[in-house]
Amino acid sequence: MNRLLRNRELLVFLLLVVMVIGVGLVSPHFLSPRSLRNVANSSLILILVSVGEMFVVLTRGLDVSVGATMGLSAVVLGLALNAGVALPIAILLALIVGVLAGAVNSVGVAIFRVPPIIMTLGTLGMYRGTMRILTGGSWIETIPANIKHLAKLTFLEIHMFVWVTLAVILLAVLVLKKFKPARYFYLVGDNEEGALFLGIPIQRTVFVAYILAGFFSAMAAVVFVAQVGFVPMQTGNGQELKALAALVIGGVSLTGGVGTPVSAFIGALFLKTVDSMLIFLKVPGYWSNAVGGIILLVAVYFDYRLREAVNLRQLLSRRKVRMEHIKKVRSAVEANRNGHTHEES
Amino acid sequence: MDLSENFPDATNSSTPLIQMSSIWKVFDGVPVLRGIDLDLYKGEVHALFGGNGSGKSTTMKILSGVYRADSGQIRVNGRPATIERPTDAHNVGIYMVPQEPHIFPHLSVEENLLTGLDKPKGEVREQIERLSEEMEFHIPMHTSAGSLSIANQQLLEIIRGLLRDVSVLILDEPTSALTFREVDHLFAKMKALTNRGIGIFFISHRLGEVLEISRRVTALRNGEVVLSSLTKDLSSSDLVQAILPDDGGSGSVPASQPDSDDSGAPRGEVPVLEVKSLKGEVFDDISLSVKEGEVVGLAGLVGAGRTELAEAIVGIDEHARGDVYIDGRLVRNRTPRKCQDLGLVYVPEDRHAHGIFLDLPHLYTTTSSILPQLGRIFISFARERSIGEKYMDQLRIKANSLYQLARTLSGGNQQKVVLSKALASYPKCIILDEPTRGVDAQARQDVYTLIKNLKAQGVGILLISSEMEEIVEFSDRVLVMHQGTIIEELSREEITLERVMEASFGMVGGQIS
Repeated sequence: MNRLLRNRELLVFLLLVVMVIGVGLVSPHFLSPRSLRNVANSSLILILVSVGEMFVVLTRGLDVSVGATMGLSAVVLGLALNAGVALPIAILLALIVGVLAGAVNSVGVAIFRVPPIIMTLGTLGMYRGTMRILTGGSWIETIPANIKHLAKLTFLEIHMFVWVTLAVILLAVLVLKKFKPARYFYLVGDNEEGALFLGIPIQRTVFVAYILAGFFSAMAAVVFVAQVGFVPMQTGNGQELKALAALVIGGVSLTGGVGTPVSAFIGALFLKTVDSMLIFLKVPGYWSNAVGGIILLVAVYFDYRLREAVNLRQLLSRRKVRMEHIKKVRSAVEANRNGHTHEES
Repeated sequence: MDLSENFPDATNSSTPLIQMSSIWKVFDGVPVLRGIDLDLYKGEVHALFGGNGSGKSTTMKILSGVYRADSGQIRVNGRPATIERPTDAHNVGIYMVPQEPHIFPHLSVEENLLTGLDKPKGEVREQIERLSEEMEFHIPMHTSAGSLSIANQQLLEIIRGLLRDVSVLILDEPTSALTFREVDHLFAKMKALTNRGIGIFFISHRLGEVLEISRRVTALRNGEVVLSSLTKDLSSSDLVQAILPDDGGSGSVPASQPDSDDSGAPRGEVPVLEVKSLKGEVFDDISLSVKEGEVVGLAGLVGAGRTELAEAIVGIDEHARGDVYIDGRLVRNRTPRKCQDLGLVYVPEDRHAHGIFLDLPHLYTTTSSILPQLGRIFISFARERSIGEKYMDQLRIKANSLYQLARTLSGGNQQKVVLSKALASYPKCIILDEPTRGVDAQARQDVYTLIKNLKAQGVGILLISSEMEEIVEFSDRVLVMHQGTIIEELSREEITLERVMEASFGMVGGQIS
């Protein structure tokens, strides 16, 4: 049981399976391959954004501009395609925009030491504004069909984007586990002062984290444009908050140093699956946000209690040490005093 | 083991591992190190001893690259070294284990050890195995470091240093969070390391430990070396004598002669504050009382538990158990508000964090404690201003107007504002926690005058201070706190700087406790 509580990803995943089966019993149609495929497809965007956000959160940072970055990349992609740019180049362009958007945050946070929430709130506004400046405020429609075909490619009955996303996550897991500099994300978030003492390049690590967040948001933008086929001005709205919720649910600690891409993946999948379930249970769509909020609060509360229980053990053992000292000092003082008065008398 | 006989003074022996000469460091215009000279030889434990703010930690932080010296020279193995970052220190063979070990709590022990190393993994693993054996660090490598005891976190830090093939270890108050068995174990390991030729700087303010483990001691006071000698030639009182403030060495200045004629001994018999066997996180079974018109000094080192005790008395720490009587009445479920209503106020040590509203007019801090008296629903500005003017005048608060923002006042005037807040409720007893820390000389005199006036008016005062002179000068009675317990009570006739200082370091009746 203890082990299970500690392995958050497994716990959330099991909960998810139980819920899926439960809903399946009520509404068997939910378990049809078609419907499960839909759930998978609709989760991709949040999964990608969440994994990107995770790198920042690991370093004890916060990036609320990931949704806006996604929107901006989507706009650039749409405009490029409409201008007749070849598909691979247009996608590359969108990814570069994402990286640049992340780099602006990096410069602010890592070099000018602007607090992350302020820096990324600022760029959130900037990127959303840039979307409107680029398009004049109107939606981008009539995007060439070639990008929509990407969303329809399948392999073993499963869409290509799902495979790509899984591959990216697998790659991220491997890199974070095996590649030495990737360990720095954890070190910086776990104990920045300690990292400094060991000569870990903190600035560079933080810099890369925000760039990765931008890059993953841009990948989400590509998926979005391919799946939806047009770019409304609201693209990416609110993704940053959903991503943070997904991280917390999946077990990524907002105080840094804890979490894996798998946590982000599971958390995002959980949130999106709940969304789909609500539809199957014929709950009106406008309930979805409120339910998401409740799930988040419950997750945060239990997360807090779990971590507190661990801290409490440490506190208690420290108190034991102190009390032992106090007792010894007191008995020594008494012994000394008695000895002293003895001599005098 | 008779290395000690061979090179005490570096006259005839090999080059020292470390030689620091005339190290100066100034923080915010205040010199904290004034030309420190210090050296360390192979295979010795060299203890640094001194009170709070004496400069021992700062010196070591310079040696380990956390701070940079403003001037002075460091030689390692006889060669001048430039140490600007912790990694520079590691490269020349110096590793510092800070008071709170710098571990990564969420990573495994092994990951913690491997971090930041540039050697091939296989080789490091072998080395880790060997060092763990040597240090008797029997913890599975996959354990998360956050779940280790402080003692094991320290061993982990030491192994981390040894993995970098260092020849010098710096241990900053390593024993403060250890059980006695753990201390013994640590000392055994320190001996083993010195036998291997490693030199150890050992920072401590525990006399007994300094005398037990070190071969040499250097005592610091006010950023200067006041004593450096072989440990075997020293007694614990030599060490305490060395760090006594300049004028206090001569000893028995009788307590409060100047004001003995005006107010004399405390007047009332009923204590305005009485604490009975109070227990808290860092102190145990504390009893004390303060009578009307009496100044009770509460002396001790930082970390002895004095501030925590004060916070428990006024109910900021709600988990403390024990009885507190204010003006003869038992107060249950104490809160600072309730205590104030009954006549007890606390003037906190950290005024910026707990005492003042920095970005508001200073008047608002003064009246914050008595808002209900300024009107039932709306605030009467006229009354508020008159109260503010009264205290500005009485305490000589220097401000352009009542509405100058508190942040823009000098430290001394800010402290007066905090005091005015406490006085506005007309307390019967006041707990002053480090009332003169960080204030200028003029304001300091004003605070002293205030203490005398309050005493004359019959207010009981519990004066917490790390400035022993202040305690000696103003107290009618002194309680000395050491590691969470009151180890000495001195009556007016017994109060001397020397006895207060000795007790602060745990010496009572000539013995270390």
